[in-house]
Amino acid sequence: MKLFVSEGNPHCLKVLAALEETGVQCDVQCVNHEEKVVPFLSHPALPALLLPSGQHLFSSDAICRYMFEVSGQESSELCNQWLEWEATDFQPALLQALHMAVLQGKGSEVPKVLQGPLNYLDQRLSKGITPYLTGEVVSVADIVLWAALYPVFSDSSLSLGEHKFVRAWFDRVTGMRSCKSAAQKVLQGKGLQGMKSYMQRQPAPQSSQCRDTHPCNS
Amino acid sequence: MALRELSSLEKYLGLKKPNKYSTQGDKKVPVLQNNNGPPLVGLVTVACHLVKQAQRPELLGDSAENRAVVQQWLEYRVSKLDVCTKEDVKTILKDLNLYLQDKVYLAGNHFTLADALVYNGIHPKIVDLAVQEKEQYVNVTRWFDHIQHYPGVRHHLPPIVVLRNRIYTSRHH
Repeated sequence: MKLFVSEGNPHCLKVLAALEETGVQCDVQCVNHEEKVVPFLSHPALPALLLPSGQHLFSSDAICRYMFEVSGQESSELCNQWLEWEATDFQPALLQALHMAVLQGKGSEVPKVLQGPLNYLDQRLSKGITPYLTGEVVSVADIVLWAALYPVFSDSSLSLGEHKFVRAWFDRVTGMRSCKSAAQKVLQGKGLQGMKSYMQRQPAPQSSQCRDTHPCNS
Repeated sequence: MALRELSSLEKYLGLKKPNKYSTQGDKKVPVLQNNNGPPLVGLVTVACHLVKQAQRPELLGDSAENRAVVQQWLEYRVSKLDVCTKEDVKTILKDLNLYLQDKVYLAGNHFTLADALVYNGIHPKIVDLAVQEKEQYVNVTRWFDHIQHYPGVRHHLPPIVVLRNRIYTSRHH
């Protein structure tokens, strides 16, 4: 099994944290952002996992799920729900926020873009009585959401407002050895600037307005 | 649309007792009202729940690898297919066409929930294709035709005619 990652790529933070947390045996190879690892995709997609069967996983969430499952933790329905929310609601907002903060120097507008999803997360966490998103132990949902949030939440120059419950949960997960180590590997202590070369190679995010007025599945 | 899709899935799975649904937000995200616990939100989350309810775990993949592949395509459906622009459609079809070159189903050697949900998501895109384009994405149309004829899958969607024989000379060889 082989995992392909690239430096400064926020999605690689997820899979490296999941890899360290689960202790799954896997070779890791660092490649360029443009490296075409998944043979059937037109655009380079990293991270990617080459499975023992020869199939490729190109979704970081699916890679994390796989690692947790082979280490004995299948994702619960609550986990599924968090992962779906992350992919459909949180990622589009984060992509826009990172684009603004890293490439356009508009860090001051980031709080506006992230307010909705952060409020939702805060509200959900405020109702919980468990230390982690889905229970007493860390699940794939914690790793995926923590890694998604890490680049913007660990940068103190972005005034994201007070999300007391998100902050407490975030700090708890950040304190884990696996997460600390993954953050160091991917961002190398450079914070948002460590993602610049990655972000420059990403297509500009579609405006959220366009997304809302033409939903394909309504 | 998502709710009709879920009700089709319930019928396919042979679930007798209909579930109660609502939608949430501008994007009309489906919500399942769950008697035994908090509501479940999201098309993929609810669809996976229905499969478990019907005790058909094989529809989520028969091995850890295939389960990951199924989840990957389910995510692809809601995070890529459902929000793609007109230009993205071409790339998506091109990629899927290459992926399906040596495959009958999206994950493993059996029909899974990934086939059902990607079929539903790609249906409006295939409707818009000209005959010539359908030939360009020949593996996608072959897979699509197979899934739309898979017993109990199509339900609320109109069938799309797919020509099995090429009428245009192939330009891509």
